[in-house]
Amino acid sequence: MVTVLFNAFSFLQKRLKEQNRPYTDVPIQLADESTVADLVVAVGLQIADVEAVLINGSVQPFDRTLNDGDRVALIPPGTPGPYRVLLGMVGGEKGR
Amino acid sequence: MSKILRIDAKNKTYAFEEVGADLAALGGRGLTSKMVLNEVPPTCHPLSKENKLVVAPGLLTGTVAANSGRISVGAKSPLTGGIKESNSGGLVSQKLAKIGIKAIVVEDKPDNGAFSVVVIKNESVEILPADEYMGLGNKEVINRLWDKYGKRVGVMSIGPAGEQRLTAACINFADPGGRPGRAAGRGGLGAVMGSKGIKAIVVDDTGAGKVAVADPEAFRAANKRWVEILRSHPVTSQGLPAYGTAILVNIINEAGGFPTKNFRSGRFEFAQDISGEHMSEVIEARGGKTKEGCHPGCVIQCSNVYHDKNGQVLTSGFEYETIWALGANTTIKDLDDVARLDALCDDIGLDTIETGVALGVAMEGGLLDWGDGKAAIDLLKQVATGDPVGKIIGNGSVFTGQALGVDRIPAVKRQGLPAYDPRAVKGQGVTYCTSAMGADHTAGYAVAPNILKVGGDVDPLSKAGNVDVSKNLQIATAAVDSTGLCLFVAFAVLDAENGVQTIVDLLNAQYGLSLTPDDVVSLGISILNDENTFNERAGFTKAQDRLPDFFKEPLPPHNVTWDFTEAELQQAKQYG
Repeated sequence: MVTVLFNAFSFLQKRLKEQNRPYTDVPIQLADESTVADLVVAVGLQIADVEAVLINGSVQPFDRTLNDGDRVALIPPGTPGPYRVLLGMVGGEKGR
Repeated sequence: MSKILRIDAKNKTYAFEEVGADLAALGGRGLTSKMVLNEVPPTCHPLSKENKLVVAPGLLTGTVAANSGRISVGAKSPLTGGIKESNSGGLVSQKLAKIGIKAIVVEDKPDNGAFSVVVIKNESVEILPADEYMGLGNKEVINRLWDKYGKRVGVMSIGPAGEQRLTAACINFADPGGRPGRAAGRGGLGAVMGSKGIKAIVVDDTGAGKVAVADPEAFRAANKRWVEILRSHPVTSQGLPAYGTAILVNIINEAGGFPTKNFRSGRFEFAQDISGEHMSEVIEARGGKTKEGCHPGCVIQCSNVYHDKNGQVLTSGFEYETIWALGANTTIKDLDDVARLDALCDDIGLDTIETGVALGVAMEGGLLDWGDGKAAIDLLKQVATGDPVGKIIGNGSVFTGQALGVDRIPAVKRQGLPAYDPRAVKGQGVTYCTSAMGADHTAGYAVAPNILKVGGDVDPLSKAGNVDVSKNLQIATAAVDSTGLCLFVAFAVLDAENGVQTIVDLLNAQYGLSLTPDDVVSLGISILNDENTFNERAGFTKAQDRLPDFFKEPLPPHNVTWDFTEAELQQAKQYG
């Protein structure tokens, strides 16, 4: 098992609230070798809802395996344009 | 058809003049920077009669093109000593364009310190005594001017900070709700307006016709595509209208670039408490408003109105930069305190970013405690009264740091840094150093697939690729700033294949031209060259293209440092 610290932003917070799920600094337990995609499903969201994921503060691909103690944040579409570029959310291999 | 309106601030007279061939193709920032370069002696004192205040709508302003109502204000900056363009929303831009005024140029200065209000209508210009408005905050000035000249006239005004010619003074613009929530914020242009004895400019376009369009059919078709691009993107439909620009609080914080406690760390423990998500919940609960445009024709609608606990309006235009500067930077975590500080800045006429950085420096210097929102509120009130301590804060971060003997002042070209730590968002850091504007977050803001020739991924934590990113963003932004378009159309040109082409189509249809996207690049480059040339003549060298040494310290959580060499940074000014 791995435990990650989970955060979700923007309208994902509303969506999780509607399901009575927490979204700020939440410890989540997952099976070993779980990926970001697995986490998304585990918290009751869909991959289509998520534009980018930050692991330990950096944009990472969705197929990245999660390690024990990782801090994971899910960001939906809607981040103002230049920051999607400046933070590396757009282009290259890190997109979905 | 359009003309330049020159205001003689000394003799209180005015004159219209034809637009010369060299200025005809320019608007917005392209026009203000060209006119400042041509007409302002680069070595003049910015508060002297030699400086000029240039106010210009953009090339598309006044048409029905969505999001085209922004305004550019230019001058030599009393804060940086270099050229400045400051951009705002509000009502003035479109009204000037409809009246047929391509630019207002305020020149000279009064001998006797007497202030005026300039009232511009379709058929007249009056320069009237401003006695009854002196000493008033922007909120009351706008109220009185709307009472006198009609609701929803365009108003740009200065508060007590601009009257005192303080270098953090901004120019505020009435938003469509009559609040002073929009501003040409950075670089002390409020002080320039104050030095010229202009308390306010009123613009009433009643009776004005439509802006001329060379090919109305083509324009209509291009605008239809333009609106479709803006409306169908998630940034428009979900992010910005719901949470405003404050949507960036949690994101930049998560990325470890949210400058906390005067740039000591990239994460703020209480980020969620001042986040856009939380702000939006509070707004909803108290009967405020999200989803408001800052000018007519805006389809993005990222502005807001924030109420206090009693359901009364507390502030409006509550932005990411403001929340950061007055919140995480000072470690003030009570969103109501931050809102009160924003409201004070709007009323007194102070740049919220510069003021937040100055407050952080003041806390560094022991003038007030870290995180003490109430003390910060009391301190800002002293700017309005002309108190000597108020004059320190009102002159910005560098002046405050010097007054208090502080060695940690985050500024470039004497302008306080905005809401992204340069060590963790390196592309932004390159812009801070190399823009003629000083530490500026909007100078390198827009991007387009065919302009941004960056291969592969952009990593904000390492140097690779970030000089090119910054350079290309700066070029594209300068061009967008000339059209009157809001910079948030950046996502449209980033993600829509035909985004830039659609802007080009709008310009071609309006003016009967045959521009291509390459011309957009050339325009952007020529504007940056104008600005760099002015600064060189004003005495700037590469030495001013630097961050302070303390940015070599590692920034948690990523423990990254600022490690660009001078040669690497200067590449961002080689436009090729």
